[in-house]
Amino acid sequence: MSRQRRRASLALSVTAGLALLAAGCGGGDDDSTGLPADQESAGGGDGSPAGGDEGIRLGILGQCEGPFGGFHEDVVAGTTLALAQFAGATPNSSTSALEGFSGAEVAGTPIELVGIGCGDDTADRIVQEVRRLVEQLGANVIIGPLSGDEGIAIAEYAKANPEITVFAGISGSQEQTLQVQAPNYFRFYGDGAIWSAGLGDLLHNQEGWDTVAVIADDYSFGHTSAAGFIADFCAVGGDVVSRVFPPLGTTDYSSYIAQLPNPDEVDGYFWAVGGTGTQAALEAFVNGKGDLTGDQHAGNLFFNPNLAQALGTGIAGAYVGGFATLPGDVQTPEIEEYLAAADATWETIPGSLSGNEPAPPSVAAAFGFFYGYYTAGVALVESLEAVGGDISDLDAYHAAISDLTLDLPYGEISLDENRSGIVDVGLSRLVLDDAGDVVQETVAIVPGVDQTFGGTFSPDTPSPGRDFPACEERDLPWVGNAIPVVDGVPQG
Amino acid sequence: MTPASNGLDQVRREDERTTSTEVRSRSAASVRSRLTELRRPSVWVAAVVAVAVAAWVLVLADGTPAGAAADDPGKFLVTVLDAVTFAGLLFVAASGFTLIFGLMRTVNMAHGSLFLLAAYVAIRVQEAMVGRSRNIDPADVGLLDWLVPMLAGAGVAAVLGLAIQQVFLQWNEGQEMRQTLLTLAITVVLADQMLREFGGLAQRMVWPGAVTHFFTIGGERYAATRLFMLGIAVLVGVLLWLWLNRTSVGMVIRAGVDDRQMVRGLGINIKRVFALTFLVGSFLAGVGGVLGASFAGAAPGTDGSWLLNSLVVVIIGGLGSLKGAAAGSLLYGTVVAFSPAYLPSQYSYYAIIMTFGLLALVLAVRPYGLFGRPA
Amino acid sequence: MNLRARLTGEPLALAGLVLFLILLPSLATAFFVNFVMTQTLILGLAAATIVFLSRYGGMTSLAQLLMFGIAGFMFGNAALDGGARGLNLGWHPWAAVGFAIVVTTLAAVVLGAIASRTTGIYFLMLTLVYGVIGYFVFAQIVEISGPGGITSIQRPDLLGPPVRLYYAGLLLSVLAYVGFRALRRTAFGLALQGVRDDPVRMASLGFNVPLHRTLAFVLAGFVAGLAGLLNVWWNGQIDPASISIGPTLILLIIAVIGGISSLEGAWLGAFVYVLVFTYLRDLPLVDRIGITEARFNTVIGVIVLAIMVLSPEGLTGIARRLPVRTIRKELGGTRA
Repeated sequence: MSRQRRRASLALSVTAGLALLAAGCGGGDDDSTGLPADQESAGGGDGSPAGGDEGIRLGILGQCEGPFGGFHEDVVAGTTLALAQFAGATPNSSTSALEGFSGAEVAGTPIELVGIGCGDDTADRIVQEVRRLVEQLGANVIIGPLSGDEGIAIAEYAKANPEITVFAGISGSQEQTLQVQAPNYFRFYGDGAIWSAGLGDLLHNQEGWDTVAVIADDYSFGHTSAAGFIADFCAVGGDVVSRVFPPLGTTDYSSYIAQLPNPDEVDGYFWAVGGTGTQAALEAFVNGKGDLTGDQHAGNLFFNPNLAQALGTGIAGAYVGGFATLPGDVQTPEIEEYLAAADATWETIPGSLSGNEPAPPSVAAAFGFFYGYYTAGVALVESLEAVGGDISDLDAYHAAISDLTLDLPYGEISLDENRSGIVDVGLSRLVLDDAGDVVQETVAIVPGVDQTFGGTFSPDTPSPGRDFPACEERDLPWVGNAIPVVDGVPQG
Repeated sequence: MTPASNGLDQVRREDERTTSTEVRSRSAASVRSRLTELRRPSVWVAAVVAVAVAAWVLVLADGTPAGAAADDPGKFLVTVLDAVTFAGLLFVAASGFTLIFGLMRTVNMAHGSLFLLAAYVAIRVQEAMVGRSRNIDPADVGLLDWLVPMLAGAGVAAVLGLAIQQVFLQWNEGQEMRQTLLTLAITVVLADQMLREFGGLAQRMVWPGAVTHFFTIGGERYAATRLFMLGIAVLVGVLLWLWLNRTSVGMVIRAGVDDRQMVRGLGINIKRVFALTFLVGSFLAGVGGVLGASFAGAAPGTDGSWLLNSLVVVIIGGLGSLKGAAAGSLLYGTVVAFSPAYLPSQYSYYAIIMTFGLLALVLAVRPYGLFGRPA
Repeated sequence: MNLRARLTGEPLALAGLVLFLILLPSLATAFFVNFVMTQTLILGLAAATIVFLSRYGGMTSLAQLLMFGIAGFMFGNAALDGGARGLNLGWHPWAAVGFAIVVTTLAAVVLGAIASRTTGIYFLMLTLVYGVIGYFVFAQIVEISGPGGITSIQRPDLLGPPVRLYYAGLLLSVLAYVGFRALRRTAFGLALQGVRDDPVRMASLGFNVPLHRTLAFVLAGFVAGLAGLLNVWWNGQIDPASISIGPTLILLIIAVIGGISSLEGAWLGAFVYVLVFTYLRDLPLVDRIGITEARFNTVIGVIVLAIMVLSPEGLTGIARRLPVRTIRKELGGTRA
């Protein structure tokens, strides 16, 4: 019996092997064997050809799981608002953006939402989600993704699939534009380093910090955020005396805090520790080094009170880098119009800042995640207007996108030669409001920040890391140009 | 035998053939003793490693972030305190896990979920009691504003744990792998539902103002909250010890750990004991969760990392042993505190790998942990 | 029990299935073949190594995704030239394949040898710790990866068109299936099963128990490494999050869905997983009952829960029990 079985499995394997060989030879002759699956290019899924004649088939990449899973509603709403404002779209639901929209059209070209991708903050997952949108649902324009490593993966995907057009969502890694250089990948907002720009100038020249210690998460976004600060602070003559990078997932930060110099040995600290680490690391600091004296601390967007709702009141006084939008104390007519438009588009949106409970849409709209996807949506509309709704010539379409300058509520945005945003960065300070809550107060707006930092970062330099960039003085185009903000009013 | 008979039977039958022809010359006991002999040299290796590490920390560790202990005793003392206090948290988190395993041989993969759920519930209760939902100051938190939420959170975890045991584990006792996978599936569901309910942003429980003080030791500042955490851990440990050693239920549980069949044979309703153990184990997971949320905050992913922490502790200490959990927590806490401080600066990024290297070392010496035995 | 009975049984059905899969690219859409089926084959191949270890060696391993990842990382390190991260050795792709397989196998030797003295639940937990160590090794050591991982990995020219990756996955899956099946009848396979059932007896019979376990682990690591290579070619990148605790447990779940005691269940589990992942949210009205793409994990969790409640042998166990039961009932009926 066992011999028969062995023979049977032998027969099975021989059959399989021969058949595979045959199939392999068939596929090996030529690239055009006629198999539907044998296509190098994507975009033809389910018999809906990509291309200009059918209009825009839009896919949005969000995150419905992982640390930013709560922002899924926010980001989809961001793009939807842009299309509602400028392309005549009507949301299918008055209490959620995830239901999609209808009736969007620009210059006679309809925009159809074919799907919403659901990432989980990993590059693997987002690649699978974008393939589903493009290859199964036939999307030809993608808006997203949300986070740094995802951005690199999607930029690589865009490079390999030149027939799609990607407007990045709010992903903050440098490499997605600076290194990957996909000609069809556009980012109409800043990156993680840009959001720290201007802080060094302010702290060194205004607050008199000469030396600083940096503590940041040991992964791409922490490195990038710290790199922007270091480049800026060192450029104006400051010195970074210590860099500590606790690994992601650290529970007890005390041993890493112990590696920092004491408060009397250094002028200040720059923090880029996210998630539960923001509070845990600060608490470890209080435990080991002494009480927080706000003016000795600065942080990246992880100090944003909307993200770090758990922070104690001791952090009041610290400076905070920017993140796409400006804090709520700045209210220009453009910003008011934008927030009113959000409130007019839906009754409520269950965004992350309201704990995913229904809240006025303007709550979500005033925050960076929503706004990044909004700028991408506006870029889509304006680029279509620029080419008269005709995207049959992709090169011309992409050239038109590159030349766009968007006049947006939180400042003008144009693209550099790597198709990455040149933006205004709002710097703020944490203060206690009357209710005892920690809120942001805008102190300055730094105009025209680009991702190269005067040559510190270029396509030939390594990615920001534990040792890169080194601390060097250099000329930054925006030093001295910061516009002070007093009581929410930009001066001049 | 029909052709449809499945492969499993086939294999089993073949195995019988293999083993039925064997010569049963040597007893199992002699094999075990041979294995024990093999272990001895590795005990020496462990001793040598321990002495080398001690020498490094005490005198040689120049150029490390903390410096040699002989030069900077203050930093050394603080690192020791960090190790012990963190070990307290680890012990509370792992004690429930090891209790459940010891009696029921169930690896409760939902332990981390219970931990996180208790944390979230406690945070909500505390926010309601203090009357604000963000930027809570310890000065506004009374002792009760911490204790009541803790009991509420741990209570919810205990009830949920009991429900899991009654619905999913009670009827398939003894099928270890099936139980493990069942609790794994429950974890996947719970994690997703908690993300839906509590969102993705980091939250935290605030220590009561009464314990938020600082003192100076060896010239270094130290936080009373960490000692408070250690105190609770010691209290939990003592209560558990008393329960297991001084009450009749505890004795049944200990007897059950040693020999379940015997306990059954004595006519004791072991089902009720199992349920009670799961209730207590889940409650402890909840207490750990509230301590953890006060110490380090809570967010999606906290469940996974604390399941892992508990696993590491009990793997080092030996599954099912309370003594092992204490020893495992101390050893793990020590490595967590010491490796970033006493590795040469350029290697401090590898501190976390060291932590798990410790595990490999322990397992190489004692496959069942310091105080464990083969199941 | 003659040849005819054999040929109408399982092997013929499987041969038919393989033939169907070979013809599939002419029948189905590109997305179905290049995405759904290719991913199914890759995950199935990796999950099959879990099943192999569990079924024949009595070891439920959570280190298989680590092996899968090591191969991917090593290929990326060796094959890339001038990338942003990693060693950038710039070797010929097939030399990189060899390098990746050798490193993966060596890692399996070391890890397998350390784990070879534990079994059951202890083995499960030890291999989980392996997975975590692996994650931190790749996350912390920037020379070989760092937190951002290795991106823009290209597949060898031979596998250029996506459909060839599908065929490569099919070929390796068939080979692994046949190989694992054949192995259990060899002297090694029989000894391994003896070790699974009664290690003490086997030791006293003079068999080297740890050696048998280690060898099985090495073989499984090798095959998982092959799956890992397919995966980086399919995905184009790999980072530490690809081998973190979440995906590690997912691979075990895939093996469990199909049935952890049957080899074909690995691929079945992968197919179900990928189908649910890809198509569940497209089902009409499914969002009305609160199941959106955001709740995918809940659905997967409930499926696994249901399967484990119904049958620890997974879908294949359930499928097998159904016809057998009816046959038995009929037999019983005629006898009565």
